Formats: sequence, structure tokens, C-alpha cells
Amino acid sequence: MEGWKPRNLPTFQSCNLPNGKMEGWKDFRFSSRYGISHTMRLRASQLTKDFGHRSIVKNATLSVNAGEVVAIFGPNGAGKTTFIKILATLLKPTSGKLEIEGTDAIAGYSDVRSMLGVVIHETLAYPTFSPYENLKFFGNMYGVKQLEQRCMTLLTEVGLQRFAHEPLHIFSRGMTQRFMIARALLHHPSVLLLDEPFSGLDAPAKQFVLERIAQEKQNGKGIVITTHNTELGYLVGTRFFFMINGGLEEVAQKEEITAEALLLMYEKKMQSSLSV
Amino acid sequence: MIKKTLRQIGALIRKDLGLQFRSKETLVLIFVFSVLVVLIFAFAFGPIFPEKVERGKLTASVLWTAFVFAGIITLNRSFAVERSHGALHGIRLTGVDASNLYLSKVISNVVFLFLLEIVITPIALQFLDLLDVVTMGILLKLLGVLSIGTLGFCAVGVLLAGMSTSTNGGESLLSVILLPLVIPIIMGGAKCTVSLLVTGGLNERFWLNLLIGCSLVFLASAYLLADAVIEE
Repeated sequence: MEGWKPRNLPTFQSCNLPNGKMEGWKDFRFSSRYGISHTMRLRASQLTKDFGHRSIVKNATLSVNAGEVVAIFGPNGAGKTTFIKILATLLKPTSGKLEIEGTDAIAGYSDVRSMLGVVIHETLAYPTFSPYENLKFFGNMYGVKQLEQRCMTLLTEVGLQRFAHEPLHIFSRGMTQRFMIARALLHHPSVLLLDEPFSGLDAPAKQFVLERIAQEKQNGKGIVITTHNTELGYLVGTRFFFMINGGLEEVAQKEEITAEALLLMYEKKMQSSLSV
Repeated sequence: MIKKTLRQIGALIRKDLGLQFRSKETLVLIFVFSVLVVLIFAFAFGPIFPEKVERGKLTASVLWTAFVFAGIITLNRSFAVERSHGALHGIRLTGVDASNLYLSKVISNVVFLFLLEIVITPIALQFLDLLDVVTMGILLKLLGVLSIGTLGFCAVGVLLAGMSTSTNGGESLLSVILLPLVIPIIMGGAKCTVSLLVTGGLNERFWLNLLIGCSLVFLASAYLLADAVIEE
């Protein structure tokens, strides 16, 4: 038996991981053993959300793999925020299924929430607390190890170390957005849900968000962003969707389309939706 | 699992009390409100009751009126701060059990209101001319009765505040839906307070049993309902 190795299990050296780190190895091993694609971070199928008689999200189907950035473009009021809130388990869908890391996220929402990093329009934090205090509180709730060090590392990474102990309510939009990204990454989530992450930001702040998304993609996270800015969405996305009047439609993968063609398609789609 | 639960509840209580003491808005508001209630009653009725029995009844009314309305203000504020910047969503995203979130809110509100009661009770006794006849033993029993009443009040109040603050006009809605439900607690608490201030003991066991029983039943039922209320 000496020297025997199971033939079906790949060695670590044979894994072509994007970041060359152990992160993602567990997924790879699992998928090989069970013969399924376990790199799927999130799968939503036929999600619908009605408010009264009005459908805000209509039969939306989407899957996100590890290391993938799904960009959803849509005008104001298209249902993007509602859709992100459903994916984040903050809203219950009227119908449809949602799985996060293979777990039913509608019935087992409390089990999947710690796998999610969420940035929405609200700060999801306490304005009278400083970024450090907020991160420490939420880190404590998540059970983050070496919490104080993690908080300071994150605040340094997002460029807020000088303001670590200032109350959050004095922050500008860009600084708040940086804090929200730090808060979303605090507990090493495997799925990032970013609702309009570029809105209200100046050029350097937009550049920071773009770089951070690219970095997290390299780390194997599954990322969903919503935006109405096709230029920025194209830069960071790997797969593109349109959301118009609550309907989600897959457009193309990045290699299949140019930024100009995407913008053209989006404008055309917007015009046709207005004329309906 | 228990360790995780206790860690989360501890963090939530520290955060709640930290927020209350840092902003001091609610603290100042409920303190000034309670002192005003005591002063108004004291100046309106104080000198016309020479009998200890009458003064005891008046003091019980003053204390419970002040604490019930101060409690409503505290409960409303306590949830308003969670909802204003989506912090409640942030907490839900940590995967914390809604029942534990409820429990921590009850504990932090009880602690906060109990601190108010410790300060306001001697002031009310002084203004209504009862401080010299109330011994330390009676005062401690009185604070015990007030704390049980506060627990029952907050047990229902936190649950209803969680629902009402997400609606339009939630602040006034809370008073309308909460007060009828906590009548047994107010009745039991007020009767026990009168008994303590007049006779120095808890002679009528029925009211004490009602107070303790209702508080525990409210706490248990609201704990079980918390998940549905907070998640929906």
C-alpha cells in the first residue's frame, strides 16, 4: 500500500487555483469527490417579489461561480436593489428558490448569512460609532478571530486608518463607501453582493472600488454588482445581465462583447422598454 | 453554541448601552420627563394629603406614570437607532438568532430604565414627603417590584416596538398598542408599590403573583414570537 494515492483525488499541486493560495482548495476537493460543480457560490432560480399587485422582480434566474463577477445593469426603479436584498436574505421572495453555497437560503437564512458580504444604500452600521467600533462590534457578532488586528488591517487596506476613531456620521460619501466595503469583507465572506457600489463616488474612490472587486474576484469570491454605469460594470464584470422592469436577462460574457457594444445594447433595451 | 449565543447577546447589550450613554439624548429626555411628572404631581397634590396612606397611593401613581411613559420613549428610541441606517439589517446579516436579538434588547432596556428608576424613586419620595418614613429595606423591595414590572413592560414593549417603528407614525402607534397589553403589569406593580409605601410590606400576594406571572408569561411568549416579528 506504500505509495498508494487515490486516483480520483487531485493533488494540491495539480490545482490551478487563481490566487495560488489554499483558498478554494476545499471547494475543488469537494467538487472532485462528489462529481458536482461546487464552485457555484450562489444560485437563484425563478425569483419573484410582489408588493401588493405589483411585481418588482419577475422570475429572475442567476448563478454565480467562484471568481466570477456578475454585473447587472438597469435603470432606476428596475428592481435591482430589491433583487440584491432578496439575494442577501433581507427580503423574502414571493416565489422561487435561492441557494448559497449549496444551502437553501430561504429556509435556512440564518445559516447562510455569515457567508455574505453586503453593500447596499444604507451603511448597515451605527453612525455615532467610529469605523473601528463598528467593525469590532460586527466582528464580535460574526466571531472573527484576532478581531482587533483584523479591524485595523481592513481599515488600513481601505485607507481609513487615520479616521479609525472618528464617528461615522462625519464621513463623506466616498469614505462611507470605503467603510462599507471593509464591513462587507470583515468576516471573509464567499459571496459579495454590491448594490450600486460606484454611486456618488469621485474618480479615485471609483478606482479603489474597482481594484478591490478585482482583488476579491482573484480570491475566489462570487460577486454580484448592480449598477447603471455600463462602463464601470464592464471593466469589473465577467458576465453581464440587464434588469428592466423587474425582468433579468443574460446578455453576454465579457469575452463575447465589447464595452461599446454593451452600452449600445443597453441603450437600445432602455429605449424599447420605455416605448412599451 | 451556548458560548456563541452568550458572546452575541453580550456584544449586543454592550452596544445598546454604549449607544444610549454616548448620545445621551434618550437619557436626558427621559430623566427630564420623569422629573417633570414628579414635580407636576407633587405641586398639584402634595400638600393636600396629610395622611400617609393617601401620599403612598399618590406616589405609586406618580412613579408608574413616569416609568411607563419614559419606557415608551426609550423603546421607540431604541429601535429607531437600529432602523435609521439599516443597522438592524447589518445585525441580521451576522446570522444572529432573532430571539437572541430580542433578548438582548429586553435586557439593555431593562437595565437602562432600572438606572432611571434608581434615580427618580428617591426624588419622588422626597417631593411627596415619604422619604423619611421609607427605610432602606422598603426602598430595596420597591426597586425589586419596579424591576419586575420593567421586565414585563419591556418584554412586550420590545416586541411591539420592533413592529411599530417600521411603520408610519410608529411612535404613537406603540403607545396605543402597548398600554392595553401591559395593564395587568401596571395594576400589579402599582398595587404592590402602594402596599410597600403604606404598610412597609407586600401584604396582598395576589398582586405580586400577577406582576411576576404576567412578566414571565409575556417574556416567554414574546421570545418565541421574536423570530417571526423581526424577520417579517
